[in-house]
Order: sequence, then C-alpha cells, then structure tokens
Amino acid sequence: MLGAVLKAIFIILYATFVGFMFMGIIRKVTARIHRRIGPPIYQPIIDTIKFFGKRENITHGLIYDFGIIFALGATILALMFIPLGSISILRTYGDLILITFLLEIPMLGIMFAAMSSGNPWAGLGAQRALLTLLAIQVPLGFAIIALAEFYGTFSTYEIVMAQQVGGWSIFHLPLLLVAIAYDIVLQAMFGKEPFDMMIAPGEISLGPMVEFGGKHMGMLQIQHAIGLFAETLFFANIFLGGAVVIAFSSPILNTLATLGILLVKQIAVLLIAIFIGAIFPRFTIDQAVKFYWKWPTIIAALGAILASL
Amino acid sequence: MVDWRLFEPLFNWARKKSLWIVSFCTGCGGIEMPPLMTARYDLERFGIMPDPSPRQYDLFLITGYVTPKTLKRIIITYEMAPDPKYVLAHGSCPINGGIYWDAYNAIKRLDLYIPVDVYIAGCMPRPEAVMDGIKKLMEMIENGEADGWKRYKENYEWYRKNQDELLGEGWREKEARKWIPWLMDKKKEEGT
Repeated sequence: MLGAVLKAIFIILYATFVGFMFMGIIRKVTARIHRRIGPPIYQPIIDTIKFFGKRENITHGLIYDFGIIFALGATILALMFIPLGSISILRTYGDLILITFLLEIPMLGIMFAAMSSGNPWAGLGAQRALLTLLAIQVPLGFAIIALAEFYGTFSTYEIVMAQQVGGWSIFHLPLLLVAIAYDIVLQAMFGKEPFDMMIAPGEISLGPMVEFGGKHMGMLQIQHAIGLFAETLFFANIFLGGAVVIAFSSPILNTLATLGILLVKQIAVLLIAIFIGAIFPRFTIDQAVKFYWKWPTIIAALGAILASL
Repeated sequence: MVDWRLFEPLFNWARKKSLWIVSFCTGCGGIEMPPLMTARYDLERFGIMPDPSPRQYDLFLITGYVTPKTLKRIIITYEMAPDPKYVLAHGSCPINGGIYWDAYNAIKRLDLYIPVDVYIAGCMPRPEAVMDGIKKLMEMIENGEADGWKRYKENYEWYRKNQDELLGEGWREKEARKWIPWLMDKKKEEGT
C-alpha cells in the first residue's frame, strides 16, 4: 500500500517536472525555428511560480474553481493508468478506451470553468473546443479498433509486451497508417498550431483560458504539463514499443534505462508536433472538422480494415 | 497557515523573470512592439511573452498617446488584472502629452489616472531603450520598489477622483449602455 502511494507520488512529480521541461522544449525549439534565442528551458516553471505568487485571485463561483481541479485530477488519473515502463501502479486496468477517454476529460473540466465565467470569448472557445473534441473522436475510434484488432487485446501493458516480441507497432503497415492518423489527432490534443482553434491566441483572445488568472492559471499550467507527458507517453507506449528493460541485473538501473528510453521516444513525438506546429497556420473550425472527418478518418479506417484482414 | 512572506524573495525572482505583456497597443508605439518580440531583439530571452488576456498579464505597456476613449479601456484592463502588475509608459506622450500638448483629446499626464512604474522617453524609443526600461523595472521588482499596484490601492480615492473629473461620473455604466439605444433603433428599422 505504502509502496503504491510512493510510486504514485514519484510518477506525479516526475511527470510534472518532465512535462514542464517539454513545455520549455516547445518554446525553445519554436524560438530556434524563428531564429530567436528563446526563453530558458525551465521558463514554464518560473511562470507557474509567478502565477501562484499572485496576491489576488478572481473567482466566478464554485464550478469555476471545481472545473480546474477536475481537469487536473483527470489528467493525473489518466497518467496512473498508462504504463511507465515497470513503475506504473494501475497498468493492469489501463485499457485503451479508458485512457483515451480520460485524456479527453481535462478539456471538459476546462470547459466547465470557462463556461461558468460568463465571458463571451471563453464561451466561444469552449464551443470550438467541444467541436474539435467531437471531430477527433472518429479517427481516434478507428485507431483504437485497429490496435485492439491487431493485438487481440485492449490492455495497454499487453500491447507493450507484444511489441517487445513482435517489433514496434509502426513497423506493421496497418498500424503505421493508424499511427499517422493518431499523430494528426495528437496535434489537436496538444493544442498545437494547425488545430489550436480552441485556444486561438489572437483570434479569439485566448479562448477558454481568457478568464483564468492567478492560481487558476497556475493549476492549468501544471495540468498542461502533465497532459503533455501523459499524451506523449501513451503514444510512445502503443506505437513506439514502450520500454521494458531487463538487460541489467539491478532493478534501479533497469528503471533508469526504461525512463531514459521512454524520454527519448516522447521527445521524438513532441518534436514532430512542434515542427508541424511551427510551420502550419491555423485552420478555421469548419475546415478542421471537415479535415478530421476526411483524411485521418480514411487513413485510420484503412488501417483498421487492413488490421482485421 | 503557511507564512508566505518567507517565499517572497522566490516570488519576486519569478515575477522578475516572467513578465507577461498584455497586447494592448495604444497609438503609434504599437508598431514598436513586434520588433521587441521577433528575431532581432528577442524579449522572450527574459521570459517576456505577449499575452492577449487581461487576466494573466503582469506588465502593461502604454505605447503612445492616450485619448479619453482609450483611457477608459486602459483603466478597465488595468483593474482586471490580479495584483502584482506593473505599468511601463513608453514614449513621450504618456509623460506630458508629447507633441499632442495642445490637443483637446489627448491625456497629458497618464500618472494622474493609473500609477506608472517606469517611464521611457523618446518618440519612438528604440527597442534597446524599451529593453533598458524593462531591465530597470526588473531591478525595481527585485528590490520591491515597483509598487504601482500598491499605490493604486492606497490612493484609490485620488485616482478615482481624477478619472471621474476627466471622464465624468458613472462613465463605466454609460460606456456599457452606450450602444443600447442605437441597437434598439436598428431593431425598429429592421422590423418595419
């Protein structure tokens, strides 16, 4: 029992720290693409400390506070189900549908808070975010069906173990197609550029985030960090083979090697998202919905059909 | 209860290192904002980021002359932000009216209406000058001298009196209701 609690605390702390580093990497790499120097890589941590150091706080009622906590809690819960090498605590229950579902809950929590603030921009952003959420369901559903069909199981951990034997998922043609579709979906889940209609800085002021200041925004920063970590980790687990290292005799060395390999894979996923995000302009919401119901859906459906043959 | 005063040096350091600017471009100084953020004079090195929301910013750049119409929006934007917030007046016009010293609709002294922490003279100031002003502001934040938000709270009656003298009593309500008669007329026209 105590071991599980310690593990949970370790996972949360590790995910928060690495997630903040990921946010820093996003800003740094984007700056380098623009030929700027960019902020130091630990800049998101400073931002979060600053937000928690605000003297005043604005609240618009109970749901406004609760929505943020709800989003953060859902992200942490999703993280607990995703196998982090050998140190996850709920991995036996971590099934694909559950994790995909839990990774979308945070957006709903932010929506609750944004809608209860009564700001028209927040309402507009919430509407756009829900439409995006609706649009990404279709390719996401096909992706999950294809994975379950190919491996014969819904359990993420069993999929990782199967990849230890049979090679990474992306080296099988049907799953490669699905991985491409999932990567396009990931762009919307990160809130990165071609599909960041829900936040849309400049276009609709900040969308749902417009009314959050002070501690609420600090919580959202932490939620975003953990969310980035969880989403990249999930992708690395189901498509890039995860990592279960048993090469060393010492369990600590094994764990460290696992975390290192996973980190490399996560950063690879993140870098693709940054490169796409830095060079493509934003879609409008109707274009994005049309796009998601067209190309990723076709690719993912083709993958699902090939996987079931 | 935790005594948060112990953490004040940490918070001051963080405030200094991550000043988010609200993208409120007043007047011609707005054209000097993009060069600050882009590749040549990259302000993001100091953790400064433009941010469109009035709830999240720490640094308010008044870039240029302020008309009474803009001043209403500036005051509302200033009052919307949570507390440690700093104002940097940029260019000659917020100091004494600049070349609009005899204009009937330009504010001569911004300091009468909202508290200003740092002034930068110039028309327009070079990006280096703005960076110098921001560096000054960072030092002031670290020493705890940048206390415009505190002054605004303590002397609120005085600032409120000046605002009301210029803009008229109850200008917030008047501004909010300004378009309602026009909309009603529009509706009538469409109805007939």
